[in-house]
This record gives sequence, structure tokens and C-alpha cells, in this order.
Amino acid sequence: MNCRTLIAEDEPILAATLARTLHGLWPGLEIVASAPNGIVAVEQALALRPDVLFLDIRMPGRTGLEAAEELLERWIGEQPFPELVFVTAYDDYAVQAFERAALDYVLKPVNAARLERTVERLQARLRERLAGRQADGLERLAGQMRALLLPPAPAVQQQPPLAVIRAAVGNLVRMIRLSDVVYFQASDKYVTVATGEGEALIRLSLKDLLPQLDAGRFCQVSRSSIVNLDHVASASRDPMGKLVLNLHGRQDRLKVSPLFAHLFRQM
Amino acid sequence: MTTLTASLPARAAPPARLRRLADDVGMSVILSAWLAVLITLVDGRAEELYQQLVYAICIGVVGMLVLDSVRLSFWDDPVRRRRLMLPFLALLVVSAPPIHYAGCLLGSLLLGLDGPLLPAYPNRIQVQMMLLTLLGLSATFLLVANRERMQRIQAERGEARARAEAVERQALQAQLRLLQAQIEPHMLFNTLANLQGLIAIDPARATTMLDQLIQYLRATLGATRAETVALAEEFSAIEAYLGLMTVRMGARLAYRCRLPEALRRARVPAMLLQPLVENAVLHGLEPKVEGGEVRVEASVRDGRLEILVADTGLGLDSLGPKGNGIGIATTRERLRALYGEHATLELVPAAPQGTLARLTLPLAAA
Repeated sequence: MNCRTLIAEDEPILAATLARTLHGLWPGLEIVASAPNGIVAVEQALALRPDVLFLDIRMPGRTGLEAAEELLERWIGEQPFPELVFVTAYDDYAVQAFERAALDYVLKPVNAARLERTVERLQARLRERLAGRQADGLERLAGQMRALLLPPAPAVQQQPPLAVIRAAVGNLVRMIRLSDVVYFQASDKYVTVATGEGEALIRLSLKDLLPQLDAGRFCQVSRSSIVNLDHVASASRDPMGKLVLNLHGRQDRLKVSPLFAHLFRQM
Repeated sequence: MTTLTASLPARAAPPARLRRLADDVGMSVILSAWLAVLITLVDGRAEELYQQLVYAICIGVVGMLVLDSVRLSFWDDPVRRRRLMLPFLALLVVSAPPIHYAGCLLGSLLLGLDGPLLPAYPNRIQVQMMLLTLLGLSATFLLVANRERMQRIQAERGEARARAEAVERQALQAQLRLLQAQIEPHMLFNTLANLQGLIAIDPARATTMLDQLIQYLRATLGATRAETVALAEEFSAIEAYLGLMTVRMGARLAYRCRLPEALRRARVPAMLLQPLVENAVLHGLEPKVEGGEVRVEASVRDGRLEILVADTGLGLDSLGPKGNGIGIATTRERLRALYGEHATLELVPAAPQGTLARLTLPLAAA
């Protein structure tokens, strides 16, 4: 059985070793590329469309998990989403998390017998996929990644929610009521606060912002955006098949990551 | 080995004898004055208070000077003190009359009055006064003995406290050292994975890598026992670590270590530099896509040992609240425990990029 695979691993000897071991176990496997960091891994995966992606967890640029998340968001087209296998050195916590999420992983140093089981599982999945018996890989993976990455929402809000956003617009600080905020969008160092009237910038990461927002009203919809559900008019698919949100009071639309697509499915 | 151990404070030296004698005489002056007042009150002759005071103080001072000198010269040994209690009491009884006489003589000289005549001495009143002298001296010595016991207890307690503090300080240092000598499992397993791969691909390099791993482990695990090491040893452990990381990271990691010949034998706390170097690699260079260089340099500046660990990595901004915080905090705590204010560790942005850790220590030769 033929299979095209991409190995993302920042340590060259480990990448070569994994390739060698895989070759021994699966002669039909073609290693189309070896990515030395998470950023290259995402670009190469999008360009080469491998069937299987081995992702090291600790990599420069993007961690294996961040790379998988980004790939989920950016994957378009007919081709099925690659099967993912995470590769990690000793890290108890992560391993348990992978098992809970039913995500495939191998430990470094790689044990040949353990890798063989992974290979068998991958082969079975790819066969199912060929026979068309497999549900959409992307949906399944999104579900698994959600289980891994998104902790269950805390029952009690830890901090009292913010009432206003103080955002810089040129020389003055605008006070923006949270009910006026349509969405927050993270760019390089800033977060853009989008309202019906325009945009303003705040210097605060989404990760720090999220716990300060009313969890019932604001919700994360991708790695880089948080939306105010009060301003969401509808959800639709764009021509590429990606889920987007149409908003009250704004012309632009907001992309939803497959990780959060379940929030906008019909009841 | 002991250069860094805070030595136990020396046993508090007993105050000089003369000083103690002066203290004791002071106490007898107070007690004598008190007795003079008492006698005057009993007699009801207020006009004689001044005379009584002079006589009583003279008797007290003379008695104390004589008897306390004897006590301090011969009976100060804590072991003998108890056994010699009775002979001292006997001496007190025997010497009370001559002391009374001598005191009266001195008092009359001071007052310009006629001294007591030896043939007419002692009359009944004077015998009473001699007994009073005996009582006064006994009371003074009881007070002195009591005060000395309190001082001894206090000194012992202070000593015990100092010893406990020293033990605590050493335990803290051992704990901090242990904390710094921890091997990160992630690092160990990744290194083993590389080794596993190299054995098949390039056995000669695998052997070199294994040597480096052994050296790294020996330095790291050995540090939990030794307190200080020669700077040369610390540098070779660092080079072993950087060698390992170079195999792992390939062309992404370069390093330079510079240790002047004269500083090879300087003593430094074990495992003090290693965490700084590991920080530079783990937080500075490993997460950086292009990688970069680590530079470790030792030099003498203003008579102190200065060690620089510079990297061209992501820099301090990217560290966030966690990351190397614990390592740096532990290093600072260790420095404070070992050197107080005499050692510093500062972390500054390096130009044009990366982080510079500057460690300054007192220069200690082997």
C-alpha cells in the first residue's frame, strides 16, 4: 500500500531515524519531505498534501499542536485531511492527554514495535479511506483536537467580566462598551477591537483577554478571533467550503476554525 | 571544600575578668547603699545617713574587691564552682570581720573622722554590723551568681540558635543545589533518542555523543554532592552539554567557550553556570527557527570573577512569566545564601538580539 508522508522534526538525526525505521516497517511509504520546524511543516503540508503527517510536539516556530491547529484552519479542497501522528519525548501529561483524545502518538526514543502498531493502524485507516467508508477526517480530527486543546469551561468565572475596553485610537483612549464589540481579532502584537463604527487596537493577547470576557456572550471561534455572539447574524460556508460568520453591523465576515465549527451547527 | 561553608560562630568568649569584677563591685555598691538606708531607718537617726552610706559602701566595695578577686581567680571554673561552694562560704564568714574593719577604716579616712581603734574593737554593735556585712556580702554573691547563670543560659541559647541557623542554611544550600542539578527528562530522552539513531547511522559519532552524555551526567549528578568545583570542571561540563545539543540541533546551534588559563582553578559553586547555559539553549535558541550562538566567557573584572553567558536567541521578551524564571530565581537564591550581597546575577537584553546573563562572584582560588 502506497502512502505519502511528511515528517516534521527539528532534530535532524531524529528525523532521519524516524524515516529509516518507517521505511523498514512500511516499504510502500514515500517520505515526501522533512520539515525542520512547525512553520515549514504547515506550508509543506498545504503544498504537498501528504496522507500521513508525523508532527514533533516541541519544535521551533510552531509546536506540533499549533501546527495541527493551523493546518485544520487552512486546509481546503477535496483532498482528505492527513492522518496525524504526534511524536514526543518524555512528557507524561501530554501522553495522557493524547490518549484521552484518541490521538495517535509515538514516544521518543522510538520503539520499533510500538511504531509498527502505529503503522498498522495508519494502514487500516487509509484503506477505509480508499473504500470511502471513513467519515470526514477533518471533522474527526477537529473533534479530537478539541478534546485535547480546549479545557472544559470553568463552572465559575474566575474574574468579574470587563465592562469596557480601553482602546487606543491615535492620541486618545476610546472607551468601548463590550456590548458594542463585534469581535476581537489578534494580529502580530495587537488585538483589533471591531465595532459597528470601526476598529481600535489594544495591546493584550487573546489568551489574556478571554478569561476577562463574559463567557456566555463571547466565544473563541479560531486561534486568532473571539466573537460577540449577540452580533452574529448567521453562519454559512464560503466557496472554499470554510465556515464563516455573517455579522450584524459589519460588512466583513469572520472565519471559524474547524475546532469551533460545532458551535455553529444547526440544533 | 570548606571555603563556602559558613563556619559556626565561635563560642561566645566570657567577658574579661576585670570587667566582671567592676560589674560585681557595682552591684555591691547598690546593695550597700540599700543596707545603709535600712540601718538608718531602723536607728531613726536621719542625720547619720550620709555617714552610714559612706561606711556601708566602703565596706561593700572592699569586701567585693577582695572576695570577688579570689572567686574569679580560683573558683571560676564551672566544674569546680559547685564543689567549692562550702569553702567559699567559710571564707566569707572568716573574712567578714577584717573586711568590716578595713571598710570602716577607709570610710573614716574619707569622712575625716577618727578611725575605729583596734583594741576597742569589736564591741557589741560592731559584731552586729559584722553580721550585717556577712549578710550583705552573701546577698551580693547570690545576686551575682544568679546574674551569671542567666548570662550563661542566654549565651547557650544564642549558640544553639546560631547552630540551628547554620544547619538550616546548609540544608537550604543543599536543596538549592539539588534543584539546579536536576536533569530535565525531556532533554535526557531526546538525547537518548538521538543516540539510538546515531548508533545505526554513524557509530563513531554515537560514541562521541555517549562520551559527552556521560560527562554531562557525571557533572550534573556529582554536583549534588560537591559544593564547589574548579571553573575548568564547570566549563568542561558545559562544553559536554553544548556538544550534546549541537549533535541534536545540528547547524542551528553554535557555541564558543572562553576560559583564561589563570582562572581554570578558581572555585565556583557546583552547577551554578549550567542552568544559565541550559536556559540560553532551551529558551533562547531551541525555540528559534534559525537557531544561533551561545557564548560563555570568564574573566576577572575589578578583582572579581565575571562570567558571561550570552545567546543570540529569542531574547527576554519571549520568555513570558514562566520559562527560566525558576532557574534564575534559584540561582539568585543560591548566590544570596552563599555570598550575601557579594555576588550578583543580572539578565539583560544582548545586542543585537538575545539574552546576556552576567554573573559576578568573589574570586576564590583553590
